[in-house]
Amino acid sequence: MADWQIDLIKVVFIWVWALLIAVVMTWVERRASAMMQDRLGPNRAGPFGLLQPLADGIKLFTKEDIMPEKARKILFLLGPPLFALPAFSAYAVVPFGDKIVLGGKEIILQVSDVNIGFLYVLALGAIGVYGMVIGGWASNSKYSILGGLRATAQLISYEVPMGLALLTIVLLYGTFSLREMVLLQQGTFLGFLPNWGIFKQPLGFIIFLVAAYAEANRVPFDLPECESELVTGYHTEYGSMNLGLYLFGEYVNLGTLAAITVSLFFGGWTLPYVDMSKFLGPVAYGVASFMVFFIKQAFFLFLFVWVRWTVPRFRYDQLMGLGWKALIPLGLVNLFVTALLVQLTI
Amino acid sequence: MMSGFETIVMYLGMSLLVVLAMLGASALLGPFRPRPQKATTFECGVPLLEPGHKRYSVRYYLVAVLFLVFDLETVLLYPLAVKYKALAQLGWGVFFEVFIFVFVLLVGLVYAIKKGAIDWR
Repeated sequence: MADWQIDLIKVVFIWVWALLIAVVMTWVERRASAMMQDRLGPNRAGPFGLLQPLADGIKLFTKEDIMPEKARKILFLLGPPLFALPAFSAYAVVPFGDKIVLGGKEIILQVSDVNIGFLYVLALGAIGVYGMVIGGWASNSKYSILGGLRATAQLISYEVPMGLALLTIVLLYGTFSLREMVLLQQGTFLGFLPNWGIFKQPLGFIIFLVAAYAEANRVPFDLPECESELVTGYHTEYGSMNLGLYLFGEYVNLGTLAAITVSLFFGGWTLPYVDMSKFLGPVAYGVASFMVFFIKQAFFLFLFVWVRWTVPRFRYDQLMGLGWKALIPLGLVNLFVTALLVQLTI
Repeated sequence: MMSGFETIVMYLGMSLLVVLAMLGASALLGPFRPRPQKATTFECGVPLLEPGHKRYSVRYYLVAVLFLVFDLETVLLYPLAVKYKALAQLGWGVFFEVFIFVFVLLVGLVYAIKKGAIDWR
């Protein structure tokens, strides 16, 4: 097969895989919420309610598109695609496995190992903000506008600590490529710990995780869409698949953030203390690395649900205070300390 | 060796295609029965008292301005961070460059906090 055919297969496979994770995540979220609140959750459609996401999808597809008369028409239609496009595309640079040998050809398990690496994810995340702002503004309803404003202020505030946390990681590894970072995390650190980013950058990991929850609009930072004040925030006026794109894009974002967390701080597809490529065949190794990555990612996806039912929602001034008065100074101090340690150990 | 961006373009194209297909399918499958009541702005069934677009707090702008400064700072530091290890071998010069650059901004952040630019009262 030619290279471009392999690329095309990888693109289609990973695109569908990233979306499938998001679809199953909607089911996991509802079932796990039910479990934590001691109720049943969706259990009618298919075994354990597994077909529930499919039923939801069909419902969204067959609803009527409603355009509020006060809405700015073009911007109203532009909002959802502008949010969903970057969300769906961000998974392209995630290394979801090491490599697999098929038909004598070595294929790296990553859609594209571009040299800008996770800057691509950050850039797309920043574009996604426009989708929320435009959607909230164009709806011309007070709930939407307040939700859109809150979303903007929150997302841009937490982009800074996230950027600072990632800056220290770049300083440590000297590369943007997520694949090279995972390769640098093999082996052990200080003789007994796995050589993972979390042990070298514990503070950076905490900053990154908090910022990731804020970027994904998850509890405890779900102020742009808090139900008790703003109905559902910036997508109050949307219905049908326009709403579906917003909801779906958020779940795809969760998958991407979990994948980035795993590849930056938890060694990606590598297992601690064990080198899988030594005793597994080339094909089995590829599948095993894929599974290891997925299991780690699944844990962080579950953590999103877990935190949702553990921590109450912040107040808006607390949210801004945490971002600007705690996380950003901490990120700057972390940058100093890391730079100093790198300089001392060189 | 390929730079890999053509695959990214393929990926973006796939996203665009599916998003358009989803919106198109929804428009085809959904009913179309417009009523004037359906097109009203969401508000518990009562007439709107005031327009949606009101004046809002200036703090949103302050946050945006602060964000511009600090995000540009991180963007400017990224290229330095990639080459930091190589430059650090030449001596302490690069560390002090980073130190001065970030310190100036840290002073700015403290000033903004003291002035109450991000106090939401």
